[in-house]
Amino acid sequence: MAVVSLVAKPSGDGGEAAPEALHSKRLAALLLEVARCMDKDVAAVLPSRLDADPRLEALRSVLIEQERTLLARLQKKIDDPQQFAEAISEVLAAAFELAGLRDERLAAVIAPTMERATQASIRKDPSQLVGILYPLMGPVIRKSIAESLDGTLRGLNQAFKHSLSWRGIKWRLEAYRSGTSFADVVLRHTVVYRVEHVFLIHRKTGLLLEHVAAPQVAAQDPQLVSGMLTAIQDFVRDSFAGAGSSGGGLDSVRLGDLLVWCEEGPYAYLAVVIRGNPPESLHAVLHETLSRLHEELHGPLQAYNGDGSALGELSTRLELCLKTQEQPPEKGISPWMWALPLLALVLAGYLIIHRSIEASRVEGYVRNLQQLPGVIVTGMERHDGKWHIHGLRDPLSADPAKLLGPAKLDADAVVGQWEPYQALNPAIVLQRLTATLKPPPSIGFALDGNTIRAVGTAPQHWMDRARNYIAAMPVGSPPVDMAAIKDIQDPNFVRLRDEIQARVITFDTNEPKPANGQDEAIDKVATELSELIRVAKDLGFSVRVMIVGHADATGRETVNLALSNARAEVVRSMLRARGIAPYLLLVRSAGALEPQQSAAAGQPEAMNRRVTFTVSTSD
Amino acid sequence: MLQKKICMLGAFGVGKTSLVRRYVQSLFSDAYLTTVGVKIDKKTVTVGNETVTLLLWDIAGEDDVSPIRMSYLRGAAGYLLVADGTRAETLDIASSIQSRVKAEIGTVPFLVLLNKADLQESWEIGRDAMHGLEQAGWSVVRTSARTGAGVEEVFEELAKRMVS
Repeated sequence: MAVVSLVAKPSGDGGEAAPEALHSKRLAALLLEVARCMDKDVAAVLPSRLDADPRLEALRSVLIEQERTLLARLQKKIDDPQQFAEAISEVLAAAFELAGLRDERLAAVIAPTMERATQASIRKDPSQLVGILYPLMGPVIRKSIAESLDGTLRGLNQAFKHSLSWRGIKWRLEAYRSGTSFADVVLRHTVVYRVEHVFLIHRKTGLLLEHVAAPQVAAQDPQLVSGMLTAIQDFVRDSFAGAGSSGGGLDSVRLGDLLVWCEEGPYAYLAVVIRGNPPESLHAVLHETLSRLHEELHGPLQAYNGDGSALGELSTRLELCLKTQEQPPEKGISPWMWALPLLALVLAGYLIIHRSIEASRVEGYVRNLQQLPGVIVTGMERHDGKWHIHGLRDPLSADPAKLLGPAKLDADAVVGQWEPYQALNPAIVLQRLTATLKPPPSIGFALDGNTIRAVGTAPQHWMDRARNYIAAMPVGSPPVDMAAIKDIQDPNFVRLRDEIQARVITFDTNEPKPANGQDEAIDKVATELSELIRVAKDLGFSVRVMIVGHADATGRETVNLALSNARAEVVRSMLRARGIAPYLLLVRSAGALEPQQSAAAGQPEAMNRRVTFTVSTSD
Repeated sequence: MLQKKICMLGAFGVGKTSLVRRYVQSLFSDAYLTTVGVKIDKKTVTVGNETVTLLLWDIAGEDDVSPIRMSYLRGAAGYLLVADGTRAETLDIASSIQSRVKAEIGTVPFLVLLNKADLQESWEIGRDAMHGLEQAGWSVVRTSARTGAGVEEVFEELAKRMVS
């Protein structure tokens, strides 16, 4: 080692000359150098003497010999790639660890390189990476398949459920229009859910960082819930995931209609309580929210020790997770909508049955009508809600409306349109006979086959009328047999008639007035006549009296005729004067043409000068 | 709002659950203790001007067949170590638990509760033992779930230690 001293060894022989002065000079030079070092101004004006001094180099080598060797070794290490790599390799792991702890930059910086390296590796030898990933691939693929199968099955279920409904047809159209699968459309429309609670929970302590709930959702104490949820997560992890596993706990828990989904982050996790069937996309929303929270609040979350003030306002971010998808207002067919067609069906059924029953009743009614004498049905039809039956009907036949009741038909539902005609049916003819002739109670009619037979007794005047009527009946009418009727007369009537017809009023020759003494006879005739008229009236008919005037055969015929007429007229007026209605009295002049039978005996001509009476009955 | 997770630990049957039952806000039934092994209750105390919500993890008592699940302790800011003053061996178990807890979550404030203080006649823990515990740095409080003696104070004291 070199010895350094301020005092340089004397060199040459001049050294002995003035050692004192030399010392002083060197000291001055040294002091100057010190001054130069201390003051820049001095350094600027004074030139350094050190460069010229070889001892300085010696001094430097003495002072930093060790460092020089070290530096040289380091230099060599840096210059030699092999040695430099070795040196770095020793600290690389620790450096990575420290950088990773400090912040996320390292990961960001390394990521592209890693990606390139991975790509290069795959290009070079894919089997290498396959080998690495192999233990992972199984579970990952299984999970992925399970999830997509789950989704597909759910989609299939929904699709089956909805494929045949009206809504299903609409969705098919929508799928066709939008070019997506039917199952997707179904899923989109039927995913109905509501996120009711969102808990942001500190993972390590289980302390609640924030809680938001959907409106009108009852909430239990969220702090206790988040603690218990964390405890259960720990419990599940401990119990099933196995020791040392840091994997996630529960991803989802379903409790009937309620679903709890947990989205795990490094420092905090989200637990959401969902009612209904959320879509998978909700996972993405949760993940996004949690990632953003971790990005922005990385430090505060990591350092969280129960004091939430550093985290700031979290609820608005969590509210983004409170998603809801309402069920599209289902235009459910109300029970009434079902009842209406049902009602219509019942009504239609009732109408049809009612109509067919009515139709069969009407047919029966028409059959009965056709059995009815005097009725001919020519047709029937239904319009305006009514049955119209038309045909011919004798007015004397039974009323068709009377058959409606027994046929259980409403009189309003059946309208008869009848043309009147006269039937020759024996029964109707009999009726007509009865209606026209008004037979006395003593007369009875009966049908014997096609013949009408009358039995009993009847007065002559009725008999007369009946015969006239029967004679006037149209051709083809059933024969009427009246032979069995006995002619009976009222005894009073017969007596009075016979008395009146026996009366003779006599006249003198060529005299139109009755002979003397005939007034009594005329009085009697008048009395008898008025009684006869009364009796006949009581019996229901009227009588007429023909007053027949006669003359004797003497004299001219025309005179006799006039005379006989005059005689009858006189008697007529005399009877009229006695109270007999003149219209009941007919006059006939017989002249001398109807002489008395007994004229030959005695006073023939005197007996022929007379007036006689003939009683006739009429209606 | 300040929240702290604290744990109730101790041997089986020392009265942890009874100790808190009257003093805390509960939502879950005791059945969780036997099933999940933990039940969570809430207790609000005031330290100075600050309200501290204590989330109390009542962890199922340890016995020979089921040790405490240490994962429940994660993130605890403090704990209450409960022993039964009438059974000296529960103090040993508490001591054992304490050492395991310390290994698991490090040093956090805790208090030792000698419960059943109302049963003076069968008290098994003498003055020497108490003194020994205090020498070891443990804060020991006598409590009684039956009379409620010391319970409120324990929560307040632990909260104070955790906040400071």
